[in-house]
Amino acid sequence: MQILKVENLSLQYGDQSILNNISFSIEKGQIIGLLGPNGAGKSSIIKILAGLVFSKTGKIYFKGSLQNKFSDLRKYCGYLIDSPSLYPYLTAKQNLNLIKNINKVDLNIDDLLIKVGLPDVSKKKVKHFSTGMKQRLAIAQALLRSPEILILDEPFNGLDPNGFQDVLNLLETLNNNGITIIISSHLLNELEQFAHSFILLHNGNIELEICKKTLINSKKRVAFTFENEPSNVVKEYITKISGSFTSDSKAIIRLKPNEIAEVVNTLVNLKSTPINVETLTILQEQYLEITA
Amino acid sequence: MINILQIELYKLFSSYRTYITFAITILLMLIVDLGLYSDGEEIFSYLIQPLNDNFYVEGNIINGYLIAYLALNTLWVHIPVLIIIVTTHIFSGEFELGTIRILLTQPISRSNLLTAKIISMIIYTICFMLIVAFFALVPSMIFFGTGDVLVFIDGVQFIQEATFLLRFFYAAVFAVLAMIAFSSMAMFFALWFKNTLTAILLSLGLLILFTLIQTFVLGIFSSWQPFLFTYHIAKWQLFFVDEIPFSTILNSAFFLFAMSVFFIGVSFLKFNKMNISE
Repeated sequence: MQILKVENLSLQYGDQSILNNISFSIEKGQIIGLLGPNGAGKSSIIKILAGLVFSKTGKIYFKGSLQNKFSDLRKYCGYLIDSPSLYPYLTAKQNLNLIKNINKVDLNIDDLLIKVGLPDVSKKKVKHFSTGMKQRLAIAQALLRSPEILILDEPFNGLDPNGFQDVLNLLETLNNNGITIIISSHLLNELEQFAHSFILLHNGNIELEICKKTLINSKKRVAFTFENEPSNVVKEYITKISGSFTSDSKAIIRLKPNEIAEVVNTLVNLKSTPINVETLTILQEQYLEITA
Repeated sequence: MINILQIELYKLFSSYRTYITFAITILLMLIVDLGLYSDGEEIFSYLIQPLNDNFYVEGNIINGYLIAYLALNTLWVHIPVLIIIVTTHIFSGEFELGTIRILLTQPISRSNLLTAKIISMIIYTICFMLIVAFFALVPSMIFFGTGDVLVFIDGVQFIQEATFLLRFFYAAVFAVLAMIAFSSMAMFFALWFKNTLTAILLSLGLLILFTLIQTFVLGIFSSWQPFLFTYHIAKWQLFFVDEIPFSTILNSAFFLFAMSVFFIGVSFLKFNKMNISE
């Protein structure tokens, strides 16, 4: 079931074009990764979906129904935009109560704090929190309205490895409970493990839109590095399977995942065992290209 | 709307900044009392020396009412400074903390949020002026007693003891209006620049500049005076003139009201169309 559809979204600041006719859709229960380098337009899309930035063009559908404004989406979504938005002079519980009272929801704050892994700090002022704790509290804030979609802009920023893993586990648990997640990040490798589909942005355009299944099954760019220049037989073999040499001892071949082992075996049999094999998915490849 | 207002008031009265301004005000009023308690006689005998040739002054000229009147002179600079430290933060503080993002991603309208913030600004200003009025009046009445008041506005004015409290009440109400007008301007700067310090500096800069221009009663600046908000704010003093010039005061009240409406209106336009891109 399609939960969200964005059509022809554009944004301009003066003469500068930030987003150009962006269209995409999201299935319920998915985790969508918005990827791209700084200035690609990830945060702009999220801020438009949050009603923080106004776009004069574009349409938004929620469960197939056209919304009057992008900001109408706020009823169904929880947000974490940039760094956590918290009142440092209030406690964790007071921060959550503020948002709870705005939304007039009947929800147990203590249960929510347990859910995000902050059970013992409800009375602690936020100014004494670590970045990871603030991030988890901000996710709790976003969950207060029991949203159907969670929209997160760079939620891993500033987190140490433990904090990163905690937030990742939390998001996976929420997704397992049926929450659709849109997440923008520049941490490609981490997002690849976690998201179900990806939208790669560059200069306000969608460069690539791909789901994880297609990504896994699509050909990968495999780089074989040899100790010395390989023999002519090896060169012929690599050329035959549509590979090319980028230097005397480095060859690039596009291969499906199940073909990689076969090619390595053949190279071993030809007595040219590669000393290094690097694989790049099409997403990683394009990401590297646009960030180069 | 009511729940947003409750939240705004909760935030306002949870902040140390609010109580610090209240504490400084109380201290300011008590310092005026203390200063006049120790040196008041000497200062006033010097001030009224020229009058001694024509008038015979009987009794104690320094009393609680006179001190309450003198304390109101903090309306020129001290009170506006303290008030806008808090009122600008009500608006720009959200941008500085980034909390504007969490507020605007809730299903509430921007107009409702700004209305709640403006009402909380007005409530704070009223609370502040109540504290000023109470601490200007009550301790000085306790320590110095009451009596007729001699003030220097357009010459010497003798205010009868029986009429003083009503005049003081009128002046305090007028001061609330004046401070709301000043805060509205500071709010506009806070929304425009999204920065508390810039808003405070700009507001105070205009306050100082206009007060300076106002002192030039002759020359080219004299014709500017009716357009300066400081000129109208100063009209609280006219409640301590023997025959209160209500029409002049109403004109100034109207100017300050119009100034508030203007800045609040422009702030609504700005806030409702503002992109929160940072």
